[in-house]
Amino acid sequence: MRIVAIAFMAFTEAVRDRILYSLLAFALAMIGSSIVLVRLSVGGEAKIVKDLGLGAISLVGVLIAVFIGVGLVSREIDRRTIYTIMARPICRAEFILGKFCGLGLTLLVNVAVMTVGLLSLAWLLEGRWSPELLPAVLLAYVELLLLTAAAILFSAFTTPTLSAIFTLSVFVIGRLIGDLRAFAEQFGGAGLRALATGLSYVFPNLARFNISEASVHALPLGTGYIPLALLYGGAYLILFLAAAMAIFARQDLK
Amino acid sequence: MSRRGVLGATLTVAAMIAVVPLSLALERRAPPAEGGVGPAPVLLRASILRPLLLGFHPLAADLYWLRTIQYFGAHLQTDEQIPHLYGLVDLVTSLDPHFIDAYQIGGLFLAIGKRFPEAIAIYEKGIAANPQRWELPYDLGRLYFLDLKDEAQALRWWEVTDRLPGRPHYVPRFMARLYTKTGSLETAFELWNAMYEGSDNEWVRKTAKQEMQKILAQMKAQTAPKAGR
Repeated sequence: MRIVAIAFMAFTEAVRDRILYSLLAFALAMIGSSIVLVRLSVGGEAKIVKDLGLGAISLVGVLIAVFIGVGLVSREIDRRTIYTIMARPICRAEFILGKFCGLGLTLLVNVAVMTVGLLSLAWLLEGRWSPELLPAVLLAYVELLLLTAAAILFSAFTTPTLSAIFTLSVFVIGRLIGDLRAFAEQFGGAGLRALATGLSYVFPNLARFNISEASVHALPLGTGYIPLALLYGGAYLILFLAAAMAIFARQDLK
Repeated sequence: MSRRGVLGATLTVAAMIAVVPLSLALERRAPPAEGGVGPAPVLLRASILRPLLLGFHPLAADLYWLRTIQYFGAHLQTDEQIPHLYGLVDLVTSLDPHFIDAYQIGGLFLAIGKRFPEAIAIYEKGIAANPQRWELPYDLGRLYFLDLKDEAQALRWWEVTDRLPGRPHYVPRFMARLYTKTGSLETAFELWNAMYEGSDNEWVRKTAKQEMQKILAQMKAQTAPKAGR
């Protein structure tokens, strides 16, 4: 119940944030701009709308997760409101979990709004609904939750600017790690190959959550890919949040 | 209003008024576009570009596709020289190997530009990446039949098409015609007509219609001397 209260507080705070509205407006404009792009194209019209829509959901979601996520804990410390919260019977782990759930809910609402916009546009163009896009949206949302957890983890021990840089690095490395491994396998020696392979298993491979290409072309995924990817994301979520809770528990807030 | 406020408002209004004349003056002084077709497209290697795009490569493929259409359209209307077209279509299809329209329309663009080996290369690349799609071997067969007059190769690719799911009902008929090697013009007309009826794309339908009109004119020209005799 206490977690729900903190989550609701974090959600209300995020909803009041102007960044959220500007990013949402940007995403909807990006999705809407596909109407213009489609007019310039010969062939591939539906694909352009879907690619642009899924790209906007992912890109804007990452920006929201990073720039609102890094301020969730640090802002409470800066404003000293953390002392009021901690004076109540709330443990620090509940505080972190509540903040995470609050931003998770904010992201859910945003992703839902953008998805409705994308599906409506695809429907206008093709005259049919495109449910094949929903698995891509679901995994994009899991990726955003992971980045939110990473943002909270970094903001538990460093400044908001550094937290934003670290979280964006997690995104870039996470999206690149598969390609880095492929490069090492092609051009590297045995040591580099082993290192790249090891890192690709330890570091969250965010490319696993990007199935937009397969969704847009309605390509089949391997059996049980979605549940496995959800479990994979869930495992990293637990790791990130546990680390954030452990670091935040040791912080001197007195 | 304070003096500072009046100054601020005056400057704002002056800036607003100045924007359009300044824009026009700059436009007059800007360097002319190269031959009215714009600069040559920047072609990067897909193997380098793809990882740098952090998973947004399908979106990059779309943007390069729009650039491809612009490039083809601009050169078709002017110098009819399209040396970068293959590079553009190759880049688009390397960024998104399942972009069927890019293979189909890119191949058609190349064929219109009489760059047949490149058109064949694009179709074959598409067939290798999408072995279950009937559209690409079908289009390649049409290219061999209509443009290269190579009936053996056309037949070979339509045989491939015939084995694929979802292929149109008229493919066996074309094959039968080729087997008997009769009525080339009629078959060509049917091929373009099938393309006209099977495509939702306005540009493709327009092109197919133009080709059908050309064939009809040829048919008339062939029958006219016979009638005159």
